[in-house]
Amino acid sequence: MLVVLGALPFFLYVAIFLLLPIGVLAVESFRATDPTTFEETWSTASVAAITEGPYRRAYVGSLQLSAITAVLGAVFGLALAVAVLGARRGRLMRRLVLTASAVLANFGGIPLAFAFLATIGNAGVVTALLTDTLGLGLGGFSLFSMAGLALVYLYFLVPLMVLTIVPALEALRPQWREASDNLGATGWQYWRYVGGPVLAPPVIGATMLLFASAFAAYATADALVGSSVPLVTLQIANSLSGDVVVGSENRGKALALGMVVLVGLVMIFYAWVQRRTQRWLA
Amino acid sequence: MRRSTLRTAVAVVTAGLTLTACGSDDGGSSGGGGSDTDTATATSVEDFGGMDALVEAAQAEGTLNVIALPPDWANYGEMLETFSEKYDIEINSATPDGSSQDELNAVESQRGQDRAPDVLDLGTNFARQAKAEGLTAPYQVATWDEIPEDQKDPEGNWVNDYGGYISIGCNATVIAECPTSFADLLDPQYAGQVALNGDPTQAAAAFSGVWAASLANGGDLDDIGPGIDFFVQIKDAGNFNPVEITPATIQSGETPIAIDWDYLNASFTETFAEEGVEWEVHVPSDGLFGGYYSQAISKFAPHPAAARLWQEFLYSDEGQNIWLAGGARPVRLPAMEEAGTADTEALAGLPEVTGTAEFPTAEQETVAQQVMGERWNAEMSG
Amino acid sequence: MTALIEGVAGAGSITPETPVRRGRRGAGAWRYAVLAVLGLYFIVPIAASVWFTVRERDGVSLETYAEIPGADGFAEAITRSLAIAGLTVVIALVLMVPTVVLVNLRLPRLRTTVELLTLMPLVLPPIALVVGVRSVLAWAPDYFFGTPLAEAFFALQEPSLPWILVFVYVILALPFVYRALDAGVRGADLRTLTEAARNLGASWPRVLVSVVLPVLKTSVLNAAFLTLALVMGEYTIAVILGFETFPTWIVRISGSQPQLSVAVSVLSLVITWVLLLLISALDRRRGTKESS
Repeated sequence: MLVVLGALPFFLYVAIFLLLPIGVLAVESFRATDPTTFEETWSTASVAAITEGPYRRAYVGSLQLSAITAVLGAVFGLALAVAVLGARRGRLMRRLVLTASAVLANFGGIPLAFAFLATIGNAGVVTALLTDTLGLGLGGFSLFSMAGLALVYLYFLVPLMVLTIVPALEALRPQWREASDNLGATGWQYWRYVGGPVLAPPVIGATMLLFASAFAAYATADALVGSSVPLVTLQIANSLSGDVVVGSENRGKALALGMVVLVGLVMIFYAWVQRRTQRWLA
Repeated sequence: MRRSTLRTAVAVVTAGLTLTACGSDDGGSSGGGGSDTDTATATSVEDFGGMDALVEAAQAEGTLNVIALPPDWANYGEMLETFSEKYDIEINSATPDGSSQDELNAVESQRGQDRAPDVLDLGTNFARQAKAEGLTAPYQVATWDEIPEDQKDPEGNWVNDYGGYISIGCNATVIAECPTSFADLLDPQYAGQVALNGDPTQAAAAFSGVWAASLANGGDLDDIGPGIDFFVQIKDAGNFNPVEITPATIQSGETPIAIDWDYLNASFTETFAEEGVEWEVHVPSDGLFGGYYSQAISKFAPHPAAARLWQEFLYSDEGQNIWLAGGARPVRLPAMEEAGTADTEALAGLPEVTGTAEFPTAEQETVAQQVMGERWNAEMSG
Repeated sequence: MTALIEGVAGAGSITPETPVRRGRRGAGAWRYAVLAVLGLYFIVPIAASVWFTVRERDGVSLETYAEIPGADGFAEAITRSLAIAGLTVVIALVLMVPTVVLVNLRLPRLRTTVELLTLMPLVLPPIALVVGVRSVLAWAPDYFFGTPLAEAFFALQEPSLPWILVFVYVILALPFVYRALDAGVRGADLRTLTEAARNLGASWPRVLVSVVLPVLKTSVLNAAFLTLALVMGEYTIAVILGFETFPTWIVRISGSQPQLSVAVSVLSLVITWVLLLLISALDRRRGTKESS
């Protein structure tokens, strides 16, 4: 009994600082402010509003961007992790890349936006290189579009992938490959029956993590594109502060609730996919 | 670290004991040492018994909390410094880059805390909202009668303070030919260079920029639609840059053309001249749109006397001239020009304006905001 | 769900646990291509940023970097962030070490719940969490104004050291701290060690101090480091709650003093990286010394 009490602080803490805010969010999404009298009432107007028009566009935009960058980040991150682990002077390279990944995975917001502006913005060094020296333009590529944002997001998603997948890659013992070779299996067969099944769950898990991270990203998008690209996090922040439209905070809470629900759904989907994959590969 | 934990604990316990001993009290008087409940409800200098008494009361409070006042916005830096030195009152300037909504949020969420804002500088619609939500305290400054009727709330819950016109700022060192009208902005030579001061659904400066474009393209104060159409055109022409204008983005060359309030653009001219960058400001010939911001005193101000003294200072000749020096048009300008108290040098430095501008009413603003909210994201994104 | 957990499990460790795989013949070119392309992708923006900070109208100078220590608000912001980070680490560890030990040794049935709860902050968007936190904080002036509870709420928001940020950051750090500690405990077969210690007559506190903590030293260090990186880079929650921390200070001055802002960011990146490298190097040395 005393032992259960020992775990109590953790549950209490999580209840107060995690579950309570989410609960309050859920409840307050069902309030609305009248734009003329500024009174608050119970209503589903906020929740209904977020499924239409610019908000639906924002959800679709966020989901699209997160999905694309998650997959791209996973692919490049996996490639980088494999490349790093197999290198000859492995230890130093591994340490450099892993520590850099830990640092860059948290790098975002205005410094990151500015770094890219300094690179391929109007006055960027690469832009200048391409236009002045080489005579090419950026080929219609704009930093302030979905594509541009995706390019910037990869900057912290790829390191996150590397951080997450390296331990899984290391769990792939070289002895297994050797044993497989000794038994006469080809590379493809090794990956189909040994490497793949071992790596698939962590890779899918890591991709999910990247998706959640991209979906939740706010500061970077805000610094770079303002409202030019429809994203939910931007809409939420906009509803909390502004000089123009009045009384939109309840909509912001509904939007935030929507995000929580969506991420929850994706997690459930992931769990289902994972169970299926294991069954299929077994 | 330990000390602050102890301090927090002591504060909580002491506060708890004091409050239970005294019984619950009116919210306005908690926090801020020595503040009088009468001070919080004073509506003019006479209620204090004269200017000197007001100064004394304010100095007794010793601090003023302001919010969302960037130092390079309409010369607020000089305004804050001058006030602080003149009356020996310390000023705490919170979130200088905050928006009007941030200010109202702060008043509500920080109510009862010592760091709550005392005075607010808001977009006009937000001033009206603040009054409707009961966040403001009415106060009529000494120069009340010189302020036009349509620039203030009848009881003094909010008063317009300074304003300007939408202008087009241009980095003449980088750009060969500076645009002087909205029509010019569609020229392909400005590819990726035209920027607003923020998001029009968020920032009053950007919102007004779109409205000015509307006036230049057949719209009027009842219709902001043509402005949005115009910006869609700019975006399709490849000239639009969504990055928010800051001195940084201009200096780095990212946003060489800035559509912003004339006083904000004008404040760049001097700073950039030092960096060797030539910055020109033109008020567009085809779309003249003016806008004012409004001052209000928080009903829950922790330092009510200092807040009222600040207002008196702002609307005195000295305060108004400081704004004038920042390129903004203070609300008492017509009266001051007549009386000859306006700073003539600063007056001459204002960007040239052709024609007279009309200012939108509250209803026109609400309609325009709704149109903007529905259309801007839909048409400008993706 | 467990695969995600497994996947993140190792995220707490930056030192090699198994020998590094040797490269295979013929794959060398592909490897170098990947490293070159991605290396360029990561280095060029940083290099462009550095170039921006040293570029003056008439040449190159390191003046911007010299301005950093004396910059307005720099010392205040960075000490505040470091203080918040330190407090976050302490509270997170105090909360999680007993929990991890308990879950592993005595309450295995609680494991799934605990893992689920610690997974939530990882996938929950910080902006959604902060909207909720703000709503809760608004209860104080709205509903119980004038009571000691309200005063406590206000004390949490003291701008010079906002404890509310500490408490929320602990939640954000939970996934990493839990994974790192859990990996350490399982890897060290804590059950056997504690049973042995108990059999030899040690009391529970003694076991905790003399057996559990030394075993967890590496994990604790990893967890502490990841938490530090997280807090020093966290912007969204701090800015929406209206506090000035190191990241929000960087953003605040980015408008008026761009070169300084970028210089500080780049510098903090480099310093964090060097610190991590040092810790990783020290850790490795300690690891090889202890293994018998």
